Amino acid sequence: MTAYGSVIHDHSRNPRNYGSLDEPDLRREEVNPLCGDRVRIELAVRDGVVEAARFRGDLCTIAKAATSLLTVAVIGMKIDDVREFPEERLFAALEAEIPRARRQCALLPLQVLRMMT
Amino acid sequence: MSHETFELIERLRRARTPAAMATLVRTTGTTPRKEGTKMFVGSAGEIFGSVTIGGCVDARVIEQAGEVLRDATPRLLHLDLGDEEAWEIGLTCGGAVDVFLEPMTDGAFELYEHARREWQAGRAVAIATTLNGDGAGSRSLVDTNARTTDDVYVELLRPPSTLVIFGAGAVAMPLVTYAKSLGFRTLLVDGRERYATRERFPDADEIRVGIVSEIVETMEINARTPLVLVAHDAKIDVPVLRQALTTNAPYIGVLGSSRRGAALKQLLREEGVADEQLQRVRVPVGLDIGGGSAAEIALSIIAEVVAVMNGRR
Repeated sequence: MTAYGSVIHDHSRNPRNYGSLDEPDLRREEVNPLCGDRVRIELAVRDGVVEAARFRGDLCTIAKAATSLLTVAVIGMKIDDVREFPEERLFAALEAEIPRARRQCALLPLQVLRMMT
Repeated sequence: MSHETFELIERLRRARTPAAMATLVRTTGTTPRKEGTKMFVGSAGEIFGSVTIGGCVDARVIEQAGEVLRDATPRLLHLDLGDEEAWEIGLTCGGAVDVFLEPMTDGAFELYEHARREWQAGRAVAIATTLNGDGAGSRSLVDTNARTTDDVYVELLRPPSTLVIFGAGAVAMPLVTYAKSLGFRTLLVDGRERYATRERFPDADEIRVGIVSEIVETMEINARTPLVLVAHDAKIDVPVLRQALTTNAPYIGVLGSSRRGAALKQLLREEGVADEQLQRVRVPVGLDIGGGSAAEIALSIIAEVVAVMNGRR
């Protein structure tokens, strides 16, 4: 059993969409200066819809799982909807109680998506 | 040739100080002074820098330096040593040494400056100096496959080792300073702009900020690239170790306890990294000198790195 449940364990050990796009339409890299989590997300967009997503980063377990889940979730979404992606939906997808002190870990990739779209 | 010798040559060039350079180009017997040892002497017999060849040889070099500078003519000194003289310079038995003594001309300064730039860029370079005949003292940069003959001395200048430090925390600061003073080129890697700054690391030769696990994949790591991981953070240590263990890095040290080290190794083992590779990881890092401050930990690390690079551990 893991500290944060099977979804976080699975996505942190086997992250989806890990890597880079050859020619991304959107790209953004941000760092959490406190803990050093750093992530870069790339999106390919066609007709206002996310066609592909990739990420790379030095990320803790929660941040990596959250980024992995988000890249899965935004593929097929309108770019305007990505910007409005609700935090509650992200935390629900993680299927674990995230301690208050670690919530920023999960929110980093969501903030990156909002900044880039 | 060391970075100290390059720096000394540069100081002499800038000060326009007349100086003769003496190079030990051939020895017989066992000696602590290796071929290539250089000393620099002024026209009044003053010695520049801290290195000498030793004993009676120094006296002959100093004696001849004034003439070499006055005549602007190089000469090759052949010295047969009696047992007592040999003992003075560290030979275990009587033997002979050849010392090439030459004035440092503008051309020589220029060539060594060029060699220094190549050396600092991490490229091996060799200098061939003609020892005898009309062309004595003429020299040129040659490729490293050149051969030594009786009349030409080939001086191979291997580039400095590059110490790569992952993590820009408190231990990294004195570590960079110590490493620099020991002649290492230093490369600092971190993901945080506010830590990996020029203000905190004025001695670092290079600072790279970005996704560390990505940076390490693009680095050229070879047998002259010791690696030290002081981030103390699994999200850095695991991917860096994963990549480092695919290289022939001579030293891979990780800041942390034995327990933490065991946990890191277990994560890598689960990814398929072989135990024989994991044994290359030194954790806890550094020699046991009993210290606990950042400076003491850095000292223990650099001491172990030097010992490994010198083949002592």
